[in-house]
Amino acid sequence: MRRRLPTTLTGLTAALALLLTGCAGGDGHPDDGVVRLRFQSLAWQKESVDANKQLVAEWNAAHPKVQVDYVQGSWDSVHDQLLTSFEGGEAPDIIHDASDDLADFAYGGDLADLRPLLPERLRADIPARSWETTTFGEGVHGIPFLQEPRMIIANRKILEASGVRIPTPEKPWSWSEFRQIARDLTTAMGPGRYAVAWPLKEPVSVSLNLGVSAGGGLFHRGADGRVTVDFTEADAIVPGTVHDQVVTDRTAPRTTLGSGGSDTLPGFFAGKYAMVPLGFAYRQQIAQQAPKGFAWTVLPAPAGSEGLAQGVSPQTLSIAEDSPYKKEAMEFLDFFLRPANMVRLARGDWMLPTGRAALADPSLRTARDGWAVGAEVAERLRPAPAQGVRGYPEWKDKVATPAFQEYYSGAIDGAELRRRLVEDGNRVLARYQRK
Amino acid sequence: MSALRTSRPARIGQYLALLAYLVFLAFPFLWLVSTAFKPAPELASLHPTWIPEEPTLANFRQAFDEQPLLRAAGNSLVAALAAALIAVLIATPLAYVTARHRGRLATAATGWVVISQAFPFVLVIIPLFLILKNLHLINSVPGLVMVYVVWSLPFALWMLMGYVRAVPAELEEAAAVDGAGRLRTLVSVTAPLLAPGIVATALFAFVTAWNEFFFALVLLKTPEKQTLPVVLTHFLGAEGVADLGPLAAAAFLATLPSLVVFAVLQRRIAGGMLAGAVKS
Repeated sequence: MRRRLPTTLTGLTAALALLLTGCAGGDGHPDDGVVRLRFQSLAWQKESVDANKQLVAEWNAAHPKVQVDYVQGSWDSVHDQLLTSFEGGEAPDIIHDASDDLADFAYGGDLADLRPLLPERLRADIPARSWETTTFGEGVHGIPFLQEPRMIIANRKILEASGVRIPTPEKPWSWSEFRQIARDLTTAMGPGRYAVAWPLKEPVSVSLNLGVSAGGGLFHRGADGRVTVDFTEADAIVPGTVHDQVVTDRTAPRTTLGSGGSDTLPGFFAGKYAMVPLGFAYRQQIAQQAPKGFAWTVLPAPAGSEGLAQGVSPQTLSIAEDSPYKKEAMEFLDFFLRPANMVRLARGDWMLPTGRAALADPSLRTARDGWAVGAEVAERLRPAPAQGVRGYPEWKDKVATPAFQEYYSGAIDGAELRRRLVEDGNRVLARYQRK
Repeated sequence: MSALRTSRPARIGQYLALLAYLVFLAFPFLWLVSTAFKPAPELASLHPTWIPEEPTLANFRQAFDEQPLLRAAGNSLVAALAAALIAVLIATPLAYVTARHRGRLATAATGWVVISQAFPFVLVIIPLFLILKNLHLINSVPGLVMVYVVWSLPFALWMLMGYVRAVPAELEEAAAVDGAGRLRTLVSVTAPLLAPGIVATALFAFVTAWNEFFFALVLLKTPEKQTLPVVLTHFLGAEGVADLGPLAAAAFLATLPSLVVFAVLQRRIAGGMLAGAVKS
């Protein structure tokens, strides 16, 4: 054995050198007149990946001179990966991301301004409020194509047995009515059970986006373009309701405040919670994991002075500024986002399309799995309040997340929440807006 | 000798502490195995069980259907083996020289080793990316291997220096007295004694490269070249949502090579660690 060590090492080295040589290269673009576009998609659920791959295959079959290479990225690390790729000039030609992640890349000149490239059909099909989410300064740096409102997923049996009024998009619950119904439900359900479970691992986006329904906006842009935080009475309505449900009414458990949406599902399936406010796409997980015979339904989130309005950060498709084939990339996106294709993508991701034509598709208006309720809410969605606010990530991580967490658990009161969000928050934002 | 004797209650306490530590270490892995064999409804049960009530291979089937796990594992294996081998080939002579010939250069080299451990990934990734781009090594496994070698080299060197110091210089002197030349001494006397240390170091470099995620994510662009940790993230969605069953199944399979290598080389590694730790 001892004498064989150098021989073994030499053999291994030779074998690996051969393998590595085989792995090298292969990245060349043959000079055959074929344009090759790299499309990095973040689709991850099987149905969604299948829909994406099928559309790419259909395009490639019909366009032999412009071939699209599908690359699967990951939501988990997309920002760092894109940042590095842009710095190194090796970014994909077509980039799938979310509107709240685009600001740095758009202002940094990494994403192409799509205005001169956008076909009129696409521009007209997607509503102006959706285009707002990808407009940074003067430019449009992404096509918003899928969006996800927050809905209330409810245990149908518990709700019907309690006799409470079931809300519809036409006649939703108000926030105060929601609080009262939660009290009634909790009483009817008995000890150890709760009307609602708030999964608030990411409390800031939930609070801000649902707060839009009550007229909240939190971020205010002055005449000089500077953004400041102000926590008005309207901003306090949604956080106040959640706080009171957890701390005062005990209609929502404290234990789920640190949980993600998936973590609340076991309790929901077991009848421990009657309702869980979740993103629209969670329906896929519920449909897959719910025990046999479990009846669930999708309800609109409560409404405030702004009705069913909610803030959203849609998924987006952008083109890299460095791509030499912007025109071809846009032609592909025009095909990819045709109404029928947008429907396929939306169904694959269990989300709602932004395009008006796709949203009108009968398959997205069916009552099954709550599609129709979502489609009706889609028309009232607005850009998330934090959209395009520079310094938002730091404000969120250092100020808002701990402040909301402490407020919802009862550790601080509304006045202290307001002080932290406004005073501490404005100090953070000011650093990003020095001229 | 009496200092090593322990009373019976103390010994029982030690074993209990060891058992608790083992449970602590094993818990995540055992839970991973349990999750990998559970059907979707059991994953969402309010009262999860250790043993799946209706064990299934569906998660494994889904994981293989949805992602090219075998191809990714092959890429990981090639990158990790190459990185381990090259790191050892470079680190062994370097460690020998640095440990045997102490001087300013050796001190500076060991200082560099310590300092280089302090740099986080995010700090080096963009300059590294640009260097590799200039060398046309982006999206190539050799480029990734080069990064892994550079990344694991300081610690590998540090480890091997300990092992070299543990080999008594008198043995080499004795070989020289017996007429052995420098090369003969190194090959026939020093190398066999260093073997456990070399194996332990190679294993460290292998596991580091096998598990590495961020460099592989950033440097490899085409799906055909992606490594296993990168492919595993394809089971993760936005906001921490995961396809838990297939993710657990794939992650369980991804841990197997490390477990097998450790199981096979366990004795050799233990010997190597002792050799590195005990000074005569």
